[in-house]
Amino acid sequence: MSDQRKGPEADPVTHFGYQSVPESQKAHKVAEVFHSVAAKYDVMNDLMSMGIHRLWKRFTIELSGVRSGNRVLDIAGGTGDLTKQFSRLVGPSGEVVLADINDSMLKVGRDRLLDKGVAHNVRFVQADAEKLPFPDNYFDCVTIAFGLRNVTHKDEAIASMLRVLKPGGRLLVLEFSKPTSTLLSKAYDAYSFSFLPLMGKLIANDSASYRYLAESIRMHPDQNTLKAMMENVGFERVTYHNMTGGIVALHRGIKP
Amino acid sequence: MIVLTQAVLAAFERGLNSVLAMDAVALTRLAALQGTVIAIDCPAPAFRLFLLPAGDGLHIAAHHEADVDCTIRAPMTRLTQLALAQNKTAILHSDDVILEGDSTALIELSDILQGLELDWEYELSRWLGPVGAALIGRFARNTGDWTKQSQASLQRSLSDWLAEESRTLVGRREGEARFAEIDALRLAVDRLEARLERLAQRRRT
Repeated sequence: MSDQRKGPEADPVTHFGYQSVPESQKAHKVAEVFHSVAAKYDVMNDLMSMGIHRLWKRFTIELSGVRSGNRVLDIAGGTGDLTKQFSRLVGPSGEVVLADINDSMLKVGRDRLLDKGVAHNVRFVQADAEKLPFPDNYFDCVTIAFGLRNVTHKDEAIASMLRVLKPGGRLLVLEFSKPTSTLLSKAYDAYSFSFLPLMGKLIANDSASYRYLAESIRMHPDQNTLKAMMENVGFERVTYHNMTGGIVALHRGIKP
Repeated sequence: MIVLTQAVLAAFERGLNSVLAMDAVALTRLAALQGTVIAIDCPAPAFRLFLLPAGDGLHIAAHHEADVDCTIRAPMTRLTQLALAQNKTAILHSDDVILEGDSTALIELSDILQGLELDWEYELSRWLGPVGAALIGRFARNTGDWTKQSQASLQRSLSDWLAEESRTLVGRREGEARFAEIDALRLAVDRLEARLERLAQRRRT
């Protein structure tokens, strides 16, 4: 939706943070970012959000409606925070698929979950959100937490999620969004563009990746745009909940 | 507000699960309840919570969009009593407590919480080592015993002084004897009243 195409003859371009890059390069560049931060991803998440990302994820789990025996897909599942909770909720008769396009993140997530004894009902799949390798009408719930903004063609990814969901199944998109207050927005900008890269430099020795994080959040569709995108693709009863003043929003849509 | 609610629930859940982990069998018994959902519905102040037992503890949620196995509806005072009282079964049978659905899971959960035996000494030994934990444990037990004995002794001395020395209160035995006399007198008055009633009835006929 926010992708720019310069006419039928030119190479289509998209955004990578504030830069414009050919579409074919975005996935590669995003992969580089996540290869770089995978090892310190959890520590950085806790530091950057002051631990609040755990509360955002808790709320996501509560709204998922997942119950025993369900089949859940956790796209861009990263280090497996949501997968661990879903594994408990679906029980031995259910199944959770942790999917991530990035093999470094997938390895970190798999090791972390195995270390915690979460294995019996979890599968790990390296998959592109735009072309999910699952049958139609397969999952009861699909979640994507802090992953959609890194996807090149968001419409295609949402359509792919709609396809793999069973009728009545729900999609939950947890993603950074636009703060609702101007004052908070200014404070958040100052924090994102000065403090985040500095922390990235000090802890992960990689300020560029964290500058990308701040830029990609600004380029991501706001609450109402994402809601409209989900509705256009075919989701019904799409609602969203702002959290922490709109810094993060949880969108939920039901497959008709 | 969402984040604040989640923070409170997460903190409470963490504290509760630390306590549950100190019991040798609580987590195993909770694992048997995995998959069941218990709703707590309080009309005043209005709130709804969901309890999801699992092998790693008791999870607490403010929202639950799937089916619930059992709902307990009770005022805050009853819920507090339920949390604190030793005899939880009596409270569950109160008039203002409404149970809906399959109450087996709720009764089992209440039984787990009621029967908690916290091995705090083991928890302490994980931080201080066995020697430190044993020393602190012995000190805590001795202090506890001394406190109990001192309290009992103080209570006895105080009641003796109030009843025998200062005569501010009536002593227990003296009080019991007086109550027995009052009971006997009440019985005698009742009998007399019945007798008079009977005589009055005979005179009328």
